[in-house]
Order: sequence, then C-alpha cells, then structure tokens
Amino acid sequence: MSDLYLDVRLDALRRTQNPDGGWGYFPGKQSWLEPTAYAALALHGEPAADRAWTLVKSWQSPDGSWKPSAEVQIANWGTALCVTIASVRGEFDDSFRKGVDWLLGSDGNESNMLARAFAKVGLIHPERNLSLTGWPWKPNSASWVEPTAHSLIALKQASAKVSNDRLRERVRVGEAQLLDVRSDDGGWNYGSRAALGVNLPSYPETTGLALLGLQGRTDITESLEVAGRMLRANPSPLAKAWLTIALRLHGVDAPELSNEWTPDIMITAVEALSCGNYKFFKTGGQA
Amino acid sequence: MNINRREFLPLAGAGLLAGVAGFEGGKASPKNRRGGSSAVTVVKAKSYSDDLAQQMLRGIRECGLDVRGQKVLLKPNLVEFDPATCINTEVSVVAAALEVFQSLGAAEVVIGEGPGHRRDTYALAEMARYRSEIPKFDSRFVDLNRDDVSSVQGFADRGEIYLPNSALRADLIVSLAKMKTHHWAGATLSMKNFFGLVPGCVYGWPKNELHQVGIDRSIVELSRIFRRSFAIVDGIVGMEGNGPIQGTPKPVGVLVMGRDLPAVDATCCRIMGIDPGRVQYLQMASDNLGITEEARIQQRGESLREVRTNFDLIAPFRQYRLA
Repeated sequence: MSDLYLDVRLDALRRTQNPDGGWGYFPGKQSWLEPTAYAALALHGEPAADRAWTLVKSWQSPDGSWKPSAEVQIANWGTALCVTIASVRGEFDDSFRKGVDWLLGSDGNESNMLARAFAKVGLIHPERNLSLTGWPWKPNSASWVEPTAHSLIALKQASAKVSNDRLRERVRVGEAQLLDVRSDDGGWNYGSRAALGVNLPSYPETTGLALLGLQGRTDITESLEVAGRMLRANPSPLAKAWLTIALRLHGVDAPELSNEWTPDIMITAVEALSCGNYKFFKTGGQA
Repeated sequence: MNINRREFLPLAGAGLLAGVAGFEGGKASPKNRRGGSSAVTVVKAKSYSDDLAQQMLRGIRECGLDVRGQKVLLKPNLVEFDPATCINTEVSVVAAALEVFQSLGAAEVVIGEGPGHRRDTYALAEMARYRSEIPKFDSRFVDLNRDDVSSVQGFADRGEIYLPNSALRADLIVSLAKMKTHHWAGATLSMKNFFGLVPGCVYGWPKNELHQVGIDRSIVELSRIFRRSFAIVDGIVGMEGNGPIQGTPKPVGVLVMGRDLPAVDATCCRIMGIDPGRVQYLQMASDNLGITEEARIQQRGESLREVRTNFDLIAPFRQYRLA
C-alpha cells in the first residue's frame, strides 16, 4: 500500500509541475514557494526538483529572504523551507548563508521592547512568556507555531555548516517558545495556549509541526502520545501527513497512510514526504 | 485595562501608531458623508429546515438586487469546526444562497473562503458538511487562502495588500456571515466576514497582519475595497458569549439582508441587543461606507422589536448593551 500511495502522489507531482518549474497550490495555478518547496523535496534527485530549485532560487531577495511567489514582494517564512532544501542539496553557498542570516534576524514582534514594558507594568496580559521569541509568517508580525517549527528545522540542519552562538541561542529560545505556547492538553494550537484566559485546544497539524521543531528534546513524551492519539482519530489529510512525519522522526511507529489522493498539490507533496523523503526534516537536538 | 496578545500587537509598532494618526477612514467628513437611506430586510426562519431559499428570495427582492449576468462569489463564514457549538454559517444557508443566486440569473456562482486558523480548508469544509450537502461543492469552491493573488494599492497605512483574484474579479461578493459576538471586535457580522478574503499564503494562519493594522480598521478597509457586495447574515442560530469560536449557540430565527453592509451589521447589532454606536468599526464605517443610524435604515420584513433577543456579552463588552 505504501508504494502505491507514494507512487500516486509522486506521479501527480510530476504531471502538475508548471512550465516555470514551480507548482501552484492547485493544478494549473500560479507557482508558489510553499507547494514548490515540498514538491521539490518529495522529488529530490529528479530533474523536476532541479528545475523547481532553479525557479525558487530566483525568488531570493538581496537581503537573503525569499518571497512566496513571483508576484508577491514580501519576505516570507518560506525562507526556512529554502534553507532546508539547500541543506538537503548540499548547496552551502552565499545564497544559503544569506538565508540563514535572514532567519537569524527574523523574529515575532510580540516580544519587542514596548510589548515587554507593557507586560511588566501590567498593561497587557499576553498569556505567554514575552522573553521567548519564535518566527513570524512575515516580517513585522507575531510568531506562530508553523513558521517557528520550520525555522527550527532549517537552523538545526544549517548548524552543521554555520554553527555560532547566535544560531544556538535562537534555536534554544525558539524551542523554549514552542514549549511555552503548548496547550494544556499537550498539543499545539496555531500560536497561543489561551485567549482571554480561556484555554485553546490543540490542532493535529500544528502539533505535528511543533514536534518536528522539537526533535531531540526528551521532555515531550506526553505530546508524542497526544500526537499518536490525534493520528488514530483520523484527522485531515494534511494533519495525518505532518503527524506521521513527526512521529516517525521521533522514532514512534505510525501506521501507513491510505487515504484517497486529492488534487491539492501542497497536501499531495507533504503526503508523499510522509512515506518517502521525510528524513529531509530530520534534525538532531539543539544546535 | 486588560489587553491580550492580539490587542497589544498593534500598540507595539511605532510605525503603526503613526499610521493610525494619519487615518482618514473614520467618521465621515462633510464632503464624503453619505446621504439618503438604506434598506435592510429581516425575515424569520425558525430552523435550518425551513424553506430558506424562499426567504432569501424575498429579502433580495425587497432590497432590489439584480444579479443577472454577474459573477457572484458567495463568502460563508467557515472558521473552525466544533460539533458542540455553531461557529460557521450553516450549510443549508450556503446551499440555499447557491440555489437562489443561480435562479436569479447570475452568470457564475462560486463559493470561496479562506479560513483564518486551519490550513486544510477542504477538510474543514467536510467537517462542516459543505462537501457532502452542497451539490458539486469541490468544483464550485475556491480556497481563498491559496488562490492566485493580485496587489491592490492602499490598505490602511500599508502601501498595498494582496488579495485573491477570485474575489477581485467577482462582480458581487455575498457575505454569508454568521451572527456572532466577537471577543475583540464586539460582534462579527457581514463586514468582519471579509477577513476570510485575505490570503493566508501571503499573510499566514492566522492573518496576523490584520491584527497588526488593527481589527476595526482592517474591517473597514476591506469593506471599502469590496464595495460591490450584498449581505445575508445567518441569525437562525447565532453565537453569544465568547465568540467567534468558543461561544454558545443562541437561537434567534432570522436572516438579515441588505446591500449596505454597515446598515445590515448595525441592524444585526440591534437584534443582538448591542448598541452599534459602541462598535468601533461601525462607528468608523458610518456614513462613508454605509448607514448605521436606525432612523435612516428602511427596515423591511420583521420589526426589530419583534425579533430582538439580547446576546450574552463577555465582560469587556457589557457596556455595549443597547438600552
């Protein structure tokens, strides 16, 4: 079943690649960085992945960040995915180093000095530790679980080539931030554990992603059990795929996926990664 | 003063504070003050098994809407799914709207939404029964979080905003909103529903950019951009208390409709027992985007007195209670 499941998805990706080398979120749509990055990882080693990487590299800005598509001129969290691809491909060139530097300088603005001062005098009750900083979806916004998880993966992998105190500190604080926003039920909501004092439930997809960012930790046993329960509860296809990747990379058995294929390129690519190249998200512990 | 994370974020950026100072989209200046009146229709619908299409047709005709030959985008409020409460526009309301706008001669009717929290939009649509109960749903639906986008110049203090092409190309956007309280805005109705038009693939999940700009201001700005709109608010069962996600169901038994979204939302507030004059985005929209004064709204269908039922309000909004 696993081979067929994977083959169906890889074939779909090969068929739906745009002439520019990228993939849209859906077949026939404009190329976007996110589905292109996941598809390139799923098809790593094939010419299609090389064409995709050529396109994506052309989207890097002089400051080292990547924009999310040819049309959108805003730096984007997908920079983390591009740094991961560069590591997977062994391309530790200037582009890679600039991407790493941009990630090291990117942080959520909820922890800026003004916010911390407001919290200190009790003007705000942020329901999280403002001394801990993660990564935002885009500059000048708050940090959230998904971009933080991908940035941790990228930086931990990059640490083999760019190991310095700043990187190690960002990884340490980023992991602490993820643990700080963990929901009371042991999983993760999209970014906060509570709103207006009311606990927020965890979601399966963000729980899987947070666990990817926390590889190497020994204090997340309860969360891994939560992830296992979430997977058995038959969540969405995307959530199944991320939970499967997370559990496998933490050395926990995950059942073979068997859901039907749907023409959603991003989900197709992540599903393919869950039973194929999921090792590309593997990291050690703290850098 | 009790501010939570999302509320303080706008305060945390000096650039944003400067932008707020320069904002001209608040109360109307004499030169752009909107005159006249607006029609809002309130029709009763006791349950979701009523003939909702018939009731919608009545409301649409009362408001004089002609959609012949137009490309119509139905924008429901599909946020999260919790079987214990009623977060989303009920599927039967969306299905009825699809039937109605097709029957009225629209050239094209599609359904589009970009949920603010969950990434797997189709899975969410399945949980909310949209995929199983709306005919040919997958071929009619556009995930606005992951649509192709175009830049629109001018959004609050930002130079531009990227918006989904499916929304920008529509001749008419029908805001199929849910009547709910909102723990940061007071109430979420047809105008706030436009947050789902902002693409997650650019701004993330949630769309934190809108909170950075300011929730009220973002509501007004999106309503300004998408002026070719019509509102149908699902108030058959609304949500009270800690909305828009964690509140409790509140049966009201109405659909509220109109072409003037601020007028529709102000009317919904009055039905909910909320003073629209206290809801900041309605204050900001009043006169330049629409009409919110009760005396200038042509109330059609049911009288407000007949259908008003006070929604439970959380502490920060209790002073919003309508006398």
